[in-house]
Amino acid sequence: MEQRQGHRLGPLALTLPAVLGLALLFVAPFVTFSIYSFLTAGILPFSVGGPLTFDAYRSVVESEVNRALALNSLWTGLFAAATTVVVSLPVAYWLRYAAGSRRNLVLLLITATIFASYLVRIYAWRSMLGQNGVINSALVSLGVVDEPLAFLLFNRFAVTVALVHIFLPYVVLLLYAALLPIGPNMLEAAQDLGAGVVRRWTRVVLPLVAAPAGTAFVFVFILAAADYVTPQFLGGTSGVMLGVRIQESFLKSGDWPFGAASALSMLLAFLALYGLVVLALRLTGLRSIRFAS
Amino acid sequence: MRNETIERLNRRQLLLRSGVAIAAIGVSPMLLSACGGGDGGSGGTGAAGGMTTAGADGEVGGAVDYLSWEGYDTPDAIKPWVDASGVQINATYIATHDDIQAKILAADGSTGYDITTYYQGYKPLYQELGILQAIDSEKIPNIANLFEYFQGDAGGFWVNPDGARTGVPWTFGSLALTWDDTRLPGGVKSYYDLFDPSLTGKVAAVDDPTGNLALASHVLGLKPDAINRETDLPKVREFLGNVVAQTKGVSASFGDATNLLVSGEADICWLGWAAMNSFAADAGNANVKTALPEEGGSGFCDAFAIPITADNPQTAYSWINNILEPDVNAAANDYLIGATPVAGSVDLLAPATRDLYPYADLDEFLTQIPFYNNPLVESEEFLTMKEWLEIWTEIKANAGA
Repeated sequence: MEQRQGHRLGPLALTLPAVLGLALLFVAPFVTFSIYSFLTAGILPFSVGGPLTFDAYRSVVESEVNRALALNSLWTGLFAAATTVVVSLPVAYWLRYAAGSRRNLVLLLITATIFASYLVRIYAWRSMLGQNGVINSALVSLGVVDEPLAFLLFNRFAVTVALVHIFLPYVVLLLYAALLPIGPNMLEAAQDLGAGVVRRWTRVVLPLVAAPAGTAFVFVFILAAADYVTPQFLGGTSGVMLGVRIQESFLKSGDWPFGAASALSMLLAFLALYGLVVLALRLTGLRSIRFAS
Repeated sequence: MRNETIERLNRRQLLLRSGVAIAAIGVSPMLLSACGGGDGGSGGTGAAGGMTTAGADGEVGGAVDYLSWEGYDTPDAIKPWVDASGVQINATYIATHDDIQAKILAADGSTGYDITTYYQGYKPLYQELGILQAIDSEKIPNIANLFEYFQGDAGGFWVNPDGARTGVPWTFGSLALTWDDTRLPGGVKSYYDLFDPSLTGKVAAVDDPTGNLALASHVLGLKPDAINRETDLPKVREFLGNVVAQTKGVSASFGDATNLLVSGEADICWLGWAAMNSFAADAGNANVKTALPEEGGSGFCDAFAIPITADNPQTAYSWINNILEPDVNAAANDYLIGATPVAGSVDLLAPATRDLYPYADLDEFLTQIPFYNNPLVESEEFLTMKEWLEIWTEIKANAGA
């Protein structure tokens, strides 16, 4: 009996610090946050009170500005996620099968970009894409264009480029890890059976990385759609996203119920997208593929 | 053969048990406050962290809890006073001005913050909330060092109608237009010149809701605390909507707007601040200038105040009195790149800081940059502060829609 109790307590004791940390830093704030979304904003900014009501959610849905910002966020998230995954796949493939001795160096370089400050990278893109930035200066000096290209910065394009740059290293590493179990012998076998490059990709590689790619897509989509810093610095007037509205609700207007309701509404949208991705993988039969250990 | 059953704690059970337990802990206080109702209390932190102990026998000293912007404590300027008095400053920095009333209200009668500041527009709100205690002017003899305008109170910003003082001004400035004089020689003559097609995409604007409202109201001949929803608000919406439409986006800060001017992305900044000249010079562009167009500008003035939570008010008085010493106020406003309201500080300012404002004709300058109140907290007829914050967000978002 005592030995059984010891076994019962052992896992609890070991996991308790992590559980408490998770509970205090995530679960409790999330629950508090969720309750805020059903409260009523006070007359003073940064004050809330009862009764519990759906008014905040009603305001979120009825606000035309909110709907436009939400749509902008979803589109930006989708573009960023799709672009990131599409760009990352060939890079991960090359790393896994063709990099050879250069693999570790390239992995180091990819990982090193993660160490750069988020804001530094945003300002770097401003310097790159600005009217007097590196790209425009090069194009003008080479005579490719007569005047700087104004469309490179302060719009959704710039936001997407920056977001792709920020999340690319994570997705490359994730897909590289997904490709690791796919030995070169599998591709060789497919080649021996007459499959060309395209067929090897579509019939061997993609089906095996579909689930991790789907995960990466959802990961980037959620982070990109919820970002509010990148749109503020690079998005201009057309790149304003819902995250900015949520941030302002909490930090400027002090309308916490509206901010919380907006955030939870976005969370529901993310969960819906996650469900769609899972459904798509299941319908295409890609979700249940397992590697032989 | 032993048949042992080991009960394993699986992930699902673990998360379920801990989530329920901690959710209960997290929910309880919020439900209690919601059931309590009312508008008071933001759920923010309580009184200032750290022990607050007054100096011995009510003398200057001990720990003083400061609540305001980072930088407004002007550490270098007041260091001699800190060293001489042995004061220990516990600073709580705010991210937004509304943090001030939120934190003082959250203290809910307990002691804590000893000294704070407020922008003049917040005076009516703080008056209504009753979060500032009356200041005994006799304990701050250096009030006599202020320019006459700032000693009195034409606008009721620092002295109540009943004569009770709630604030002591110590720095001020104006908001108007800032531009790159190389790309836009001489700037523009009027705010309405910002709408010229040649400036489309070349205007910067700063995300300061109260500042934008104050300046727009000034240009339109209105007052921020008396904007009629039916007749005046559409004009304000249209004016600021047109301003934002001329920008590439509203900058998050004055620093970011300066960055746009320096990098050439913008030629002129609506809601320009003289300190941006200095920011730009530090970034290598000495051609950025700030001036008032023909409509003038709007002024801002920050005053030190003593919250009702103070339990070391004598040290707060000493702090305020010290900041009005000419050399100290000059050093503080050099640091902040602000204008000094202390007459004797003008000649002690660094030339670059002194040249930002026309001290030789200060009275005339002050008439051109009136100080305004913020919108009211509640009103049946006029725009309220909360309404304005939401409208400003819509203006920014709609510009690109």
